[in-house]
Amino acid sequence: MTSALGVTASHLTKRFGAALAVDDLSFEVARGEIYGLLGPNGAGKTTTLRVLAAILTPTSGHAELAGVDVARDPQAARRKLGFLTGSTGLYARLTGRELLRYFGRLHGMPPATITERTALLAGVLDLEPLLDRRCEALSTGQRQRLSVARAVLHDPAVLVLDEPTVGLDVLASRFLRDFVRGERDRGKAVVFSTHYLAEAELLCDRIGLLHRGRLLAEGSPADLRARAGGASSLEEAFLRFVEGLAPGAPSEAPP
Amino acid sequence: MKLGDVAIVAGKELRETLRDRRTLVVMILFPLVVYPLVSLLMAQVMASHTARGEARLSRVAVVGPPALAEPVRARLRAEAKTFAPDALGASARVDAEADRAAVESGAVDAVAEIAAGKDGATRVDLIYDEARDESRQAHDRVGEKLGFALAPGCGKLFALEEKNVAPRARVGGYVLSKLLPLVVVVMIMLGAFYPAIDITAGERERGTLETILSAPVGRFELMTGKVLAVATLSTVTGLLNMTSMSLTMIEGIRLVGASSPVAIPWTRAASTLIVVVPAAFLFGAVMVAIGAMARSFKEAQTLLTPVYFLCFTPSLIAGLGDWELRGAAAVVPGVNVTLLARDLILGKATFGASLLVVASTLAFGALALSLAARLYDSERLLAADEGALPLLAWVRRLVGLGERGPAAASVDANPGQSLALFGIGFLLVLLAGVVLRRHLTLNILATQWVCMFGLVALYARSLGRPLADVLRLRRVPGRALAGATLVGLSSWLVLGMLAQWFLKPPKELEESMRHLIMPNEGGRGVGLTLLLVGLTPAICEESLFRGAILRGFSARLPRVTSAVLTGVLFGLFHLDLWRLLPTAILGVGLSLIALETGSIVPSMVAHFLNNACLIVLAYLGHDDVGGANPGLATQLGLFLGGLAVLVTGIFLLRGTGTEPTNS
Repeated sequence: MTSALGVTASHLTKRFGAALAVDDLSFEVARGEIYGLLGPNGAGKTTTLRVLAAILTPTSGHAELAGVDVARDPQAARRKLGFLTGSTGLYARLTGRELLRYFGRLHGMPPATITERTALLAGVLDLEPLLDRRCEALSTGQRQRLSVARAVLHDPAVLVLDEPTVGLDVLASRFLRDFVRGERDRGKAVVFSTHYLAEAELLCDRIGLLHRGRLLAEGSPADLRARAGGASSLEEAFLRFVEGLAPGAPSEAPP
Repeated sequence: MKLGDVAIVAGKELRETLRDRRTLVVMILFPLVVYPLVSLLMAQVMASHTARGEARLSRVAVVGPPALAEPVRARLRAEAKTFAPDALGASARVDAEADRAAVESGAVDAVAEIAAGKDGATRVDLIYDEARDESRQAHDRVGEKLGFALAPGCGKLFALEEKNVAPRARVGGYVLSKLLPLVVVVMIMLGAFYPAIDITAGERERGTLETILSAPVGRFELMTGKVLAVATLSTVTGLLNMTSMSLTMIEGIRLVGASSPVAIPWTRAASTLIVVVPAAFLFGAVMVAIGAMARSFKEAQTLLTPVYFLCFTPSLIAGLGDWELRGAAAVVPGVNVTLLARDLILGKATFGASLLVVASTLAFGALALSLAARLYDSERLLAADEGALPLLAWVRRLVGLGERGPAAASVDANPGQSLALFGIGFLLVLLAGVVLRRHLTLNILATQWVCMFGLVALYARSLGRPLADVLRLRRVPGRALAGATLVGLSSWLVLGMLAQWFLKPPKELEESMRHLIMPNEGGRGVGLTLLLVGLTPAICEESLFRGAILRGFSARLPRVTSAVLTGVLFGLFHLDLWRLLPTAILGVGLSLIALETGSIVPSMVAHFLNNACLIVLAYLGHDDVGGANPGLATQLGLFLGGLAVLVTGIFLLRGTGTEPTNS
């Protein structure tokens, strides 16, 4: 049976030596939902996403992607996952087409399917004129579109996007957000990390506010504003939660 | 120009660079420790090579009419330390075919065919094999002895005519065998160097590491693919160099106008492919493993430069020496591939040796590959950068300047300190050795008590801990002492027999060891020698190695890894190529004893007894285990007897201590 949940994070904790990066974090993301992980730099967003992608092993707790336990079967979990890292992560000396073929083959896709999906994504992401150029010759926006194509090439059930709009201009950011919405509408579970509060408000169905590795609050943007005592914006709501002024905020900030 | 600004910039750059401990390692440890160590080891090889060559007697047969041949024989016989008298012969018959065959088969090194010559000089046709070292040496020696001999009228007494029996291709092979193996192995390493960095540290620096790690590909498959790519590139580099070197060398010989033309033995040169592929795999895997540890391109370069140097040292030693491809030499990485390449070019490689070299090289390569897969650790590579090791703070404490800054508080034993202690100790011993080389007793006392024990005492002070605590000088049960006693009484025999079988030391080493134990023909006396060469190293070397150095390694690394690292450093410390392996094995064993018992006392006991047995045997005149050449049954009996005592000792030692701690 296919799990209705795309992502399950249960009591995740991650330590690096003495430093606590993620502290008892739990959240769930349904299929067809965009979940925003929102927090300032160093809040633990990237570490959380790396744990979900089975790149880092949690110190405690566990995570599932589309019903697959990440720690127990990381390879199977990664097959369900499209992961867009903070950097574009492209091989500079490969062309776009070569790059997509490489990752398609690693995902075990037949050559014909790779060709078919490449053509489809090239149309959707406006990549056609770029596919035969080396990645090093592409602009930031073009690279990010190619990265997105790489992440969704194998049509994964879960998309994890780590600050994908950093460094993009307004048009490119909007293009990317529209694409993510489209993926959500196709039934994918999307985890979207950002520290742009306005962007999260525009895009995410639900948001988890992360601060110093802990989940301060979770809910829809409107819900969070209301719980923060009728804050006028998500930014204000976030600040109230951080300062412990919101009614539902943790009474004691972690050290 | 504003000098103030220059000073500000220079100060900042120095501060930043000196905070990079890897730069410090390359800047300080390598020039002061590794390079002298390697140079001394190579000098030993060269000296031994030269000594062996000079000591070898040339087998030269002299044939011809007795009236002419006998004076020649007499001249050569007079050089009893140069020419073997039994080879000179007494044949009056000159048989060109038979003489040629005798040289070609190696029955003799050269044949001097004597006949009457012009102008009163005796004609000497010297038949030799230019492609054989012994024959070339015989040729040179006969030339020296006869070529310059003058008749009373100042005319030449002998007219020498050289007749080389080696075919052109064999001479070509001989010339190639001198340099090509070394060049090819070094080039294979160079071919692996930058690709290894590019696909490991470069991957991280370009930001593609996270992407590939999130793809459904296993870590081992990923690293195997990377190693294969590097190995392929370095194979191509090796092949291109091999071809280019062969052509250049042969053309060079032609240009300088060599006496005999040479040809390239292409088939034999091509057969070195057997070496190139496994060597490329091994060095590719080693370099990828090291590259996998680095977090940036620069760091990888810093780490790989010394590794590259250390990797090609064995090849250099093999290329310079006159090693045979057998015993331990066939399984030592770097040495074995160089020697096999040489033997393949000379056409004297055996199937068994080739198989052993290829199999052991591939096995080491597989080990390096699995290490690479383990080291390509996303936890470490993707985690936030660790704080720099507080090396400066530790040095400040060491020299008694006290703590400064928050980092100082966290200083405790770690592998970095172990390496630093080894480096400082090595340097001090080297300096003491140079200054006091004419005073053996003073040299031993200074190196042991000042350079080693004194260093450990200073180290303990820098840590602010009692010396006994740093040394783990703790009481142990009687069972542990009994076990250590048995180990000490048997280890010298087991290791000595193994060394005799697989890594027989040259006579010079045996002589120098005998001199160390019994200077002035034993005039020091056995009691004083036991104190000086037995007890002193047991206290001082154990304090440094099983005390401070092992303590640092075992604080962060698994027990066996710590013991092996300590043992290898212990072996290197003895600065002797032939003793390196036995002393390293002894060092590993002593380290395991110290770790198992949680105390340094048993390892001191075992070390003392090991040395004491050798000293007593030397004074009794029975120190040459292999020299008496007992039969195989006796040798095996001795070995198995020693092994049984050793195993009993190990059994007694097991479970006699607590886990070592830093506190």
